[in-house]
Order: sequence, then structure tokens, then C-alpha cells
Amino acid sequence: MQGLQVQLRSASPIRLEAEFDCGAGELVALVGPSGSGKTSMLRAIAGLWTPADVQGHIRVGGPAWLDTAAGVQLTPQQRRAGLVFQHYALFPHMTAQANVALAAGPGWTVADVQALLARLGLATLSQRRPSQLSGGQQQRVALARALVRVMPKPTVDDTPTPQALPGVLLLDEPFSAVDAPTRQTLYRELAALRQKVSVPMLLVTHDLGEARRLADRVVIVDAGQTLQTGEPARVFASPRNARVAELVGIQNHFEGRFFKDHAGWGRLRWTDAASSDTGLDLAVFDKNKIDDGTPVTWVLNGEQVDVMADGEAPSLAPLGHTRLRCQLLEVLSLGEISLCTLRPEALPSQTITLNLTSRLLQRLQVVSGGWVQLQIAPEALHIMPVRTK
Amino acid sequence: MDWSALHVSLTLAALTTLALLPVGLALARWLAVTAWAGRPVVEALLLLPLLLPPTVIGFYFLVAFGQGSALGAWLATSGIRLVFTLEGLLLVSVLVNLPFMVQPIQRAFAAVPHSLREAAWVSGLSTWQTFWRIELPLAWPGLLAGMALTVAHTLGEFGVVLMVGGNIEGETRTLSVSLYDKVQGMDLQSAHVMALALVGVSLLALTLVLAFDRVGQRGRALQER
Repeated sequence: MQGLQVQLRSASPIRLEAEFDCGAGELVALVGPSGSGKTSMLRAIAGLWTPADVQGHIRVGGPAWLDTAAGVQLTPQQRRAGLVFQHYALFPHMTAQANVALAAGPGWTVADVQALLARLGLATLSQRRPSQLSGGQQQRVALARALVRVMPKPTVDDTPTPQALPGVLLLDEPFSAVDAPTRQTLYRELAALRQKVSVPMLLVTHDLGEARRLADRVVIVDAGQTLQTGEPARVFASPRNARVAELVGIQNHFEGRFFKDHAGWGRLRWTDAASSDTGLDLAVFDKNKIDDGTPVTWVLNGEQVDVMADGEAPSLAPLGHTRLRCQLLEVLSLGEISLCTLRPEALPSQTITLNLTSRLLQRLQVVSGGWVQLQIAPEALHIMPVRTK
Repeated sequence: MDWSALHVSLTLAALTTLALLPVGLALARWLAVTAWAGRPVVEALLLLPLLLPPTVIGFYFLVAFGQGSALGAWLATSGIRLVFTLEGLLLVSVLVNLPFMVQPIQRAFAAVPHSLREAAWVSGLSTWQTFWRIELPLAWPGLLAGMALTVAHTLGEFGVVLMVGGNIEGETRTLSVSLYDKVQGMDLQSAHVMALALVGVSLLALTLVLAFDRVGQRGRALQER
């Protein structure tokens, strides 16, 4: 009941079709390219941005912060949103302590604010101004200022059960302005914080790795639309459509056509965009979700592909596996891992990219220009309709 | 040294600055944040006194408030006389000093990042509290610069003062007008003293303006980090 529910729809000034939720204590990442509207969604929750024609609701716990049907629209002051701005937006003329105290409710004393700052490792820095703090320190002050806003009383203690709080914590690309080592520290601090306070946390980021690492669930955002929501591993492994696949940066994203075969099996015809005559068939599962002959886009999960030396492969592939003879076009060594580009013999217009260990390449004794056999399990193929809503 | 002229000059400068401060502050804050399409027109009107010859402003003032005008006659029945009085001089001085007060304050408010206002709102501060606790403390160098410029410009104003004030000793004869009189009367010794005094005050005011401006810039640089 303490969670955040968002459902927003507007046509101008930008198109917005957002629907997602975030439970208390859950961390949900809004992921999308810049200009995709993820920050606008965050600002809409904080009450800083409300399109004139907006329809929908924002609820936190029970009460609505915005409900166009009921004519409810709270001001930013009335909402309990702790917002960490991208560049922190600390008040430059105030000390760290004053920055935090300013956002604290009447239940807070100076000592409480000082105690919170101490928890965040700022005990000795509380009398400094933002200009006298490093980027990471500024970020922690901004986090403290956002935290006091969602905490009516200063009771972040060491109790093992996290407290449920009435607000939301909104983090707008909070890690983008600090260097990599600081970012690692801040990641750990955020994880530690989640043990203590149970509040919905929304993280806006364009960094997929960050989302994958920090978030319980990700919401993929593009052109003002929330395209897909789910656990990071699931969204990355099974993007709902081609655009999501593109946004989550999936390699080996191809076109083709799906055909039904005998019971439970289908054929994925991998085609060439130029001519649909040439192509090769890959065995796939038929989950009865896609009609016979439907044009599809599909993704090859490189982790489920076996690579064998050209002469070494047994003559028969295991049931349902597809064998592809490929030429190794290019090997880019990145230390332990080599980025390999392969061209299927039967469809030379296409290329597959695989991350292979340098050890495997040594064992195969193959270099650029040589040939290998790929053995593709049906699980490695994820098929999506070309367009889905 | 014409002490009564110095007194008139300082009184006029102090009153002009005091009267202009609230007006200029409100105008400047509004201009700094408004998205209204008519803003350039307002800004042009405010800058107009910089370009117009002071005699034009003085002339229109006399036309508007002189005995011959309906407004002047009506004011006279209420016992208010604006032509050739310190009150009239103060009114016109406020008008011609508008750009000197508004410009630096407007720039200072415009330099306060909007994200700071938003941060204050989501922290629970009302618009008024945000103004007093965040915007005003950050814009104060602009306020000081505007006040210093207004004082310096009022002390140096000549044409408008002569036309509207009418060079009445102890009432509307300012230091700059008195200086003119002294030169006319070939009293170059006194002229030198007054000219030097005016140079000194203006130089001091400008130095303060530039110093405040630097403080303001440092503040802005911090916010952009």
C-alpha cells in the first residue's frame, strides 16, 4: 500500500504515455536515451512539471498527488518527494547542514540533522558550503536533503527492519557527475540506505549497466512511452519488441520470418533485407504466440551459442540445435574477452557478434579469415513481432 | 564648496535609491523569470531613459505636471506642486534611474539557476520563502550594484535636474548644477572642488559595482559546478 503508482497520458508539449509502479523499499530504474522523457516523468511525480492536458494519476501509499479524474493536483510543497537533482542543486550560500535543515520537517532538530549527516559520512563537513565539498560529498548532501523530506521524524536507526515512509525518493541521474571510483562508493551507500528506509525509489539513468546493477526492476522509456517493465535480467534477455532490444543495446538483432513446423517447433527463416529469397532456417520453439508466416525481429543470445572448430564438430547436432558454418571476419582483443565478428556461409550479407574468451580462441586455433561451426540452441533465439504496442 | 548643494544632492540620491529599491526589485525579479511575450517592450521602455536626452524627459515632465496641464492644475488644488520642487525632482529622478537599478538586479536574479527554485519547492518552501531564503541572498550583489549605480547617477544628473528643478538654492540646486553656476560665474576654484568631489563619489560607486559584480560571478560559478 505504501508504493508509488503512476499512470500519465498527455499529448503536448511532449507525448507522454507512462504507466509503472514502485513498491515501498523497491528501486525501479527508468532507463532510456536522453530526451526520452524519463526526467519529465520524474518531474511530474515531484510536481515540478504538469502538462496542461495531462490525464491520469500519481498515488503514493493511498492518497493521490495527482488525480485528473478527481481534480486533485498537489503542489510540489504538498508532496513528499525527496528529489536528488542531476547536478544536486544545493543552495550555494548555505552550509551542508543548512541545506538539509531547510528541507526537514518540524520533527527535526539540529542534532538530528547532524546525526543524519554523520551517518552519510559528512560529520566533519556539515559546516562547509557546497563549493568546499567534492562531487561525491555534494551528492551525499543532496541525498540527505532528499531523505529528510520523506522522513517525517528523524528515526533512521539500526533496527533490522526498514521503516516504511510516506514519500518517494527520486534520483535524477545522480551518479553522472562523479568520477568512477566515487560512483562505486555511492552505489554501495545507496544499497546500504535501502536496508534502512523503506520508501519507493525511482532512479533515472541512461546507463544500462547502472540500472542492471542497482535496480530491482527497470522501466524502459522511449519517446515519452514506458515500453517494458520487469526485472533487469528478464528485460535484457527478452525484450518485448525491436525498439526495446535496440534500447537495451542488444547485439545480434536480426530480421526474419516465423513459420510453424511440427508440434511445438517452428522455423525461423533468417532473411536478407535486400532479397527474401536467400536465407537460412533456424530451429526454434513454437510458443503459439506468433502466427505462421509472420515477419519478426529476433535476437541471438551469444551466451547460449557453442563455438567449435570447423573440423571438430560432430556430424549430427543435438536435437533442435542448428549448426552454422561461419567465417571469422575480425577479432578485437579486449584482454580476457575478444569481440569476434562472424559471417554465416549460407547468408554472407549478415554478421554475428560474439564475445569469446581468448582462451577459447586459442584452443580452437582459429584466426581472422578462418572458419568455425556455431551450434545454436533454440533457447538462444528470442523472437519478437516487428511492431507491438 | 556649496554645502547646501551637496546636501540637496545627497538627499536626492538617498531618497531616489530608497524609493527605487522596492520598485526595481519587483520589476527586476519579474523580468528575470517571466516568459511573457511582452517582456522586450517593458525592457525597452525601462532602458529608454539611457538613450533619451535628459532635456526630452524634463520637457515632457513639465508638460505633464506644469501649471498649464490638467494634471498639474488638479494636483495644485490638492496642494501638490511637482515643478521646481524636491518632490518633483525625486519623481523624475526615480524614472530616469530605473535602468540603473533594474538592470543589475535583473541580471543577478536571472543568474540564479531555476533548479535551485525547484529544489526549494520540493523541499517544502513556498514561493515567498524561496524568494527570501534562496533567491534574494544569491542576488544581493546585484542589489548592491544597482544601489551604487543609482546613487552615482543621481549625483551626476544635470539636464533633468536643471529643467525640472529650476536651480533653487537649498531646494533643487544640486552639486552638478551648482558646479555649472560656478563656472558661469568664473569661480573656478569652487568648481574644481565640486568637480573633484563628483569624480571621487562616482569612482567609488563604480568600484563598488565592479567588486559586487565579481562576488556575484563567483557565486554563479559555484552554482554551475
